[in-house]
Amino acid sequence: DATTGSSTDCKPCPCPGGSTCAVVPKTKEVVCTNCPTGTTGKRCELCDDGFFGDPLGENGPVRVCRACKCSDNIDPNAVGNCDRETGECLKCIYNTDGFFCDRCKEGFYGSALASNPNEKCRPCSCSPFGTVDRQTSCLQVTGQCKCLPHVTNRDCSACDPGFYNLQSGRGCQRCNCNSIGSTN
Amino acid sequence: PRPDVSPLPSGSHLLFAQSGRIEHIPLEGQGMKKSEAKTLLHLPDRVVIGVAYDCVEKMVYWTEISGPSISKASLQGGDPVPVIRADLESPEGIAIDHLSRTMFWTDSMRDRIEVASLDGTKRRVLFDTDLVNPRPIVTDPTNGHLYWADWNRDGPKIEASYMDGTNRRTLVKDNLGLPNGLTFDPQTSLLCWADAGTRKVECMTPSQSDRRKIMEGIQYPFGVSSYGRNLYYTDWRRDAVVAVDRSTGKETDEFLPQRRSRIYGITTANAQCPTGQNYCSVN
Repeated sequence: DATTGSSTDCKPCPCPGGSTCAVVPKTKEVVCTNCPTGTTGKRCELCDDGFFGDPLGENGPVRVCRACKCSDNIDPNAVGNCDRETGECLKCIYNTDGFFCDRCKEGFYGSALASNPNEKCRPCSCSPFGTVDRQTSCLQVTGQCKCLPHVTNRDCSACDPGFYNLQSGRGCQRCNCNSIGSTN
Repeated sequence: PRPDVSPLPSGSHLLFAQSGRIEHIPLEGQGMKKSEAKTLLHLPDRVVIGVAYDCVEKMVYWTEISGPSISKASLQGGDPVPVIRADLESPEGIAIDHLSRTMFWTDSMRDRIEVASLDGTKRRVLFDTDLVNPRPIVTDPTNGHLYWADWNRDGPKIEASYMDGTNRRTLVKDNLGLPNGLTFDPQTSLLCWADAGTRKVECMTPSQSDRRKIMEGIQYPFGVSSYGRNLYYTDWRRDAVVAVDRSTGKETDEFLPQRRSRIYGITTANAQCPTGQNYCSVN
């Protein structure tokens, strides 16, 4: 405030890199108006959209702004791909999930880090009859669903040899064939 | 300078969003008065995506994804006022029907198009099916039409409906890439889009099948707006606002803000409202 008439009327802008600033009249809040490239915020403490870091070191050591690190599982045409401070990925695609889009989302399996999108994460497609509690999720890497007793296959879609009645939804039952009258 | 809102001189303006701020450029005749470009609003901790203008109350509305929220502020000065804060994830495009006093927006995470009164009440989901990455949305208030685009990489499209959500139909689906920007010019009834995939600007009259290319080989358009014979698009690679003559398809001017960062939505704040009324404004 240059109108008070004291020697401390004008203070230097509290902005990095000699950025200019302005005062919001109502709140008297100081806002930097020309932050260094890649940064924004009242004090240039935030990274631009699509980047993350802690350019002023407000929560620990200084981390310069870097592009979102999401395992190539974000779309560059999307906005808000990661948290501007922590870098947590917010818009994972190809059925991936996790802080860095580095694992398959619930109900999918495979390798989120595969280079070909078609090889990344496939649906578990667990058989509803053969899977415990009709679960739709499976093991991350192998895709093995959690099968009911005497049920087999990755997706719990078949009975073990010598067992039948998958449709019961309670696991497969022994065939009870007479060993003398059966061919195998 | 007042960092919150500098009252705008009368006349028409371009309003556009750049990280943490909404900027304006006065329009004069067929050009931008670049020397008078200024920051209209500082929103230092926000990532503003879409902007729209209500010519009746002379207010700018915007979506931002850091809240996320939809807010408004008067062009004559004043504080930003949040209008919608709940149940938003990634609100992007925003459009206003000044006649019926409603706003429409897209949300690319909830995969929805919603509508509400300009004060945020009477909110309703208009569409929640067949949407993957809906982004730009525009209105044709006099005819009660709504247009939006979806940049779904597996099937980008431009769609239309009436403002009440009836008569939804696909206008364009072939030879589209990433239709990030859309604009409707009430004077000529032209719907134009800027596509970061095909790197073209194209236009059509929605009631006819007269699609035509205006420009090609552009870099990375995000938003687009019409004014007079010009189109103005924002470009993520050039960090610029680019003026294009619609009839010649030639770039006529560019504005490079002092600050180098991506520019998002853009809209035209016309000095006067186009006259007319529609069904929704009387019912």
